[in-house]
Amino acid sequence: MPDFIEPLRRRLLELGCPMKQLRRLVREVADHREDLKQAAVAVGLSGADADACANASLGDPLVLAEELMMALRRSFWWGRHYVVTFGLLPLLAYPILWALLLVLQMALGFALGYGWNWKKLHAVVNNPVAFHHLATVYQFMDYAAIALVTLLFCWLARRAFVGLKWMVVSCAICSLCAIIWWGRIEPHSFFMGFSLNSHLHMPWFRGAIPLLVAAAMYVLQRRTTRRFAQP
Amino acid sequence: MKKTNPSFLNGVPELLVLRLLARQEMYGYQIVEEIRTRTGEALAFGEGCIYPYLYYLEAEKQVSSRRQEVEGRNRNYYKLTARGRKRLEALTSEWNRVTTGVSLLMGEQHA
Repeated sequence: MPDFIEPLRRRLLELGCPMKQLRRLVREVADHREDLKQAAVAVGLSGADADACANASLGDPLVLAEELMMALRRSFWWGRHYVVTFGLLPLLAYPILWALLLVLQMALGFALGYGWNWKKLHAVVNNPVAFHHLATVYQFMDYAAIALVTLLFCWLARRAFVGLKWMVVSCAICSLCAIIWWGRIEPHSFFMGFSLNSHLHMPWFRGAIPLLVAAAMYVLQRRTTRRFAQP
Repeated sequence: MKKTNPSFLNGVPELLVLRLLARQEMYGYQIVEEIRTRTGEALAFGEGCIYPYLYYLEAEKQVSSRRQEVEGRNRNYYKLTARGRKRLEALTSEWNRVTTGVSLLMGEQHA
């Protein structure tokens, strides 16, 4: 592959360009380069000189890769406002998450046939074994919701071409939020809070979930980069 | 487009690309060449600079693209969409307003 195209491809990979876009960008720039080379040959330049002329006309491949990524980023609202999207929105995501969690629990209650049957509900919360199951389901849904919110921001970061840095920033903020914002159920009570002292079982694990998601995304990105780094 | 262009020329590359694509489908290299020849080489895109513009315009749904084989070579051809046509009208109107204003001022100075 010519000298210009390989550095362009590598830089796009480093910037986290998704494979579908990367293939198209590289193919199109390679076509353009070939046209430039043919035009240079047509005016009498040798093959090597025509190659050099085509590369010089296209400019610095690293700068071009960054401009291409910037153009893709600018086309999304969350790409243009990445500080708000990945720095502030995760803070607001958790109260919404709680509301969804409550709705999901109520839906689950209805699905299991409890509905608004207070007698049945009282029977559950007064039965230690049944309440333990209920608390376990709540715990699982809590963890799943944290992971889902984090994945949503990771997906947005990929869609907006903002690169790994902002994906990691959003995961770190999700982690902080997961530690600070908390919800807890006890028999006949539901507590919500905003503090470091949540009295939750393993509160650090909630904070670790977004970091685990970030680590998984990082490993995935590195694997993709390595897999496609070979010309 | 040269980096030294004054800021009021922002939007000119977009105008030129949309104007060319309003006439016919074109691929990246062809657009750069057309701009160079049709402006009497007064304006020239950096060869690679056309693609960020094209991808931006495509993401904004002002142009659409399709892969087509012509003379044994596969190329991405771009064409204007209805949204692109509206944008072209707006940019043309803005351009006419600016050039009229500048012409008036230049006329005053020469008078």
